[in-house]
Amino acid sequence: MAGSAKIAALITSAGRIVLAAVFLYAGGLKALDPAGFALSIDNYRLLPYPAAAALALYLPWLELGSGLAVLWPRIRTGALAVLLGLGLVFSGVIASAWLRSLDISCGCFGDGAHGRSALAVSLLRSVFLVLLCAWLLGREWELHYADRAGRSQ
Amino acid sequence: MNAPDRMNSSRAFLLHAFRQAGVLLLAALIPALLAGVFHPRRPAWSRDQAMIPEVAWGTVREWPGLKLLVDARSEEAFQRQHISGAFPLSEARWEERLPAFIKAWQPGARVVVYCDNTGCQASQAVARRLRRELGINDVFVLKGGWGAWLVAQKSLP
Repeated sequence: MAGSAKIAALITSAGRIVLAAVFLYAGGLKALDPAGFALSIDNYRLLPYPAAAALALYLPWLELGSGLAVLWPRIRTGALAVLLGLGLVFSGVIASAWLRSLDISCGCFGDGAHGRSALAVSLLRSVFLVLLCAWLLGREWELHYADRAGRSQ
Repeated sequence: MNAPDRMNSSRAFLLHAFRQAGVLLLAALIPALLAGVFHPRRPAWSRDQAMIPEVAWGTVREWPGLKLLVDARSEEAFQRQHISGAFPLSEARWEERLPAFIKAWQPGARVVVYCDNTGCQASQAVARRLRRELGINDVFVLKGGWGAWLVAQKSLP
């Protein structure tokens, strides 16, 4: 029992590190070139350009902050909730571009490969991150529940 | 834990998550605002300023002086057919092709980048990188891309 709990804790920690690393890398690349990221958002043709420019300034810092916060226990739950929300939005947006057969790159990690197959790969990656966030959030809930149950006994 | 306790626990967890998420959402506004004012690569607020200017094939054909056409489509599309004299330079093979492009480009030459059609964004992306990474200011995007060029060829007498 103790052994399996240890393994679960190890997998959870590894999951947090992977999630933090992905969002720190993605956020860092976009924070370096917000002008390029604004055009990447604009390519999806879902928002007026000024909104894309504003998001290009804001989203990288949200990704960086939340990516870092995943490693900080005091604010981890909120960070996972933000990243889950971002992941769901990104997945929806990429899926819409894929369905419309837009010849664009995802823009998730700066400039990259264009076209439908590249978008399909980005969509799979985004869905994987959503599942990882949801699982980690579930683990936070279990810890919170166990903590409360322990206190009420 | 009984049912009411479990409900309270769930509510406390959600409240906790929303409060923390709110702090993160607000905190990200500070560097975003600073980036909007001070970042050297901050985005323009209008699309016209942000995009590389487009030129029609008719205009490009009439341009005097040096010009270099760049094909930003996939390698396979370039191998199948391309505008005569065009140089292949897609983002997927950027590092590999760039040294040859630098050799082919002559100072003062206007660069015109094209991709498949009006729906593709590869030409804008490649043109932007040429401007940003090589400092070439005379970079344009071919309006309508390869599709428009094909139509222009068919309408030739």
